[in-house]
Amino acid sequence: MATTVSGRERILIADGDPLVRRFVGALLANNGYDVHLAEDGESALRSAVSLKPRLLLIDLVLPGKDGFEVLHALKGEPATARLPVLILSVKDREEDVVKALSLGAEDYVSRPFSTQELLARIRKILERTG
Amino acid sequence: MRLLMIRVVEGVGGFLALLTIGIVINKALREMGEALDRRRRALLEPLVFEYLGAASSRPLRDSLPKSPSRRDRRLVEQILLEAARLVKGSTRERITAAFEGQGAVREAIRALGSARWWKRADAAEKLGLMRSEAAVEPLVQLMNDPEPEVRIRAARALGLIRGKTSIRPIVGALADPSRWSAIRVAEILISVGSEAVDELLAAFDTLPQNGRVSALDVLGRIRGLRAIGLMKRCLLDPHPDIRARSAHGLGLIGDPGTAPDLIGALQDQEWPVRAMAAKSLGRLGDPSAIPHLREAMKDRQWWVRCNSGEALRHMGTAGLEALTDMLISDDPYARHMAVAQLEEGRVIDQFVAELTSTDAQRRAAAIRFIDKVTAAARIDDRTRQAATSAQEGVRQALSNILKAPAQPGGGGTR
Repeated sequence: MATTVSGRERILIADGDPLVRRFVGALLANNGYDVHLAEDGESALRSAVSLKPRLLLIDLVLPGKDGFEVLHALKGEPATARLPVLILSVKDREEDVVKALSLGAEDYVSRPFSTQELLARIRKILERTG
Repeated sequence: MRLLMIRVVEGVGGFLALLTIGIVINKALREMGEALDRRRRALLEPLVFEYLGAASSRPLRDSLPKSPSRRDRRLVEQILLEAARLVKGSTRERITAAFEGQGAVREAIRALGSARWWKRADAAEKLGLMRSEAAVEPLVQLMNDPEPEVRIRAARALGLIRGKTSIRPIVGALADPSRWSAIRVAEILISVGSEAVDELLAAFDTLPQNGRVSALDVLGRIRGLRAIGLMKRCLLDPHPDIRARSAHGLGLIGDPGTAPDLIGALQDQEWPVRAMAAKSLGRLGDPSAIPHLREAMKDRQWWVRCNSGEALRHMGTAGLEALTDMLISDDPYARHMAVAQLEEGRVIDQFVAELTSTDAQRRAAAIRFIDKVTAAARIDDRTRQAATSAQEGVRQALSNILKAPAQPGGGGTR
């Protein structure tokens, strides 16, 4: 799992909502991360393999494969099993959070979210899994 | 005549041609406008997002091009409104500050004075999303608008802005004579949550009866622990609607300490109060209520019996045992309800399945239980099972039980 030549850590954002992709993408890019976007589950899986990001930030509601399926597939594949995943979702039911964490997600942030809190959590995950 | 016809055809043709040209030009202008919007938005959006993601207190205007056009101001407002649903905390506050700095709040407040009600309603909705404290007073004024939809949007906006001064007028609107409006206002207060509790408590005694009923409903659904004292007092109110709603609310809040009050309410002279008290006791799950719920299963009102039976069914083994005991009650209403609840809880099916158990003790217990159910004079389901069960042993055992004369009190035929 890589950082870019410039030393910026690579983060893949997978979300079905283009506004969320653009907003979170801009937020992370403005904070020094190398951001890549995926709009559905399948492209998230492909990009996770090809781009080798340091972190995947993913929504549970995605076109095609949903976030749980993507998470399950990533953790079952040796090449991506250690990729840290942070869930950023509008779903905030207890059972969704528990399911995501038990499937191997590192953290869970529900929307609406605090930008500063999201950045702090991302930093913490990257430190922990660095 | 022919000349006149030619003129008419020419006139209609010319009109249609002009109309077509007009439509084409209009479409072209609209598409140009949309393309320009997209281009400008692609330019403005990163600037707005950069402003929102920054930790500094630099105002939005410093991030935007100097002297923005009317189009740019509209697009910035649109981007901010869309981003508002994604974020909370300090970023949400920056969105409010941006709206205020851009003059959007001032414009929306001005639109509240429009002669067209839908413009007033739209402006109120926007102000709710902008969440500016500056909008509270004008929105409070709008709560007296002659148009109900405008009043509701104003209430919803105040609910989004929150704060004491916002919530107080919403609580007052619970007394709106329109039932539909009162329901929507109640939903708004529920979405405000615990912040609304103190205002509801403070205003309670000033509300008319329908407003107090709605307030109790809201307090129960918010699960406001601070409302318990008020609800206990309201169980003694002269109005049965208030007593019933209090009994319901106490069940929603779920404090076991209120069980004695609800047990007392099982003796209320009005059946809706007794029914609500029974339901709430089921929610509390306090075993001390079991003997009282057993008695309430003899009530002359079906709702009271039904809620009491349901409450017992949800109270674990002790509740199910109480229902089983009620199968041999001297009261036929209680017996029937006990059977209905044991059916609902699939308890009877479990015993029916045990009729063919290889364990003699379990089989005997099942026969004794089904005997009691039969004696309770509710045999329709057992008759059906005796005819249709997939297991021959079950069909045989049930047929034997049903053939024997049922003894009141479950005297046991085997």
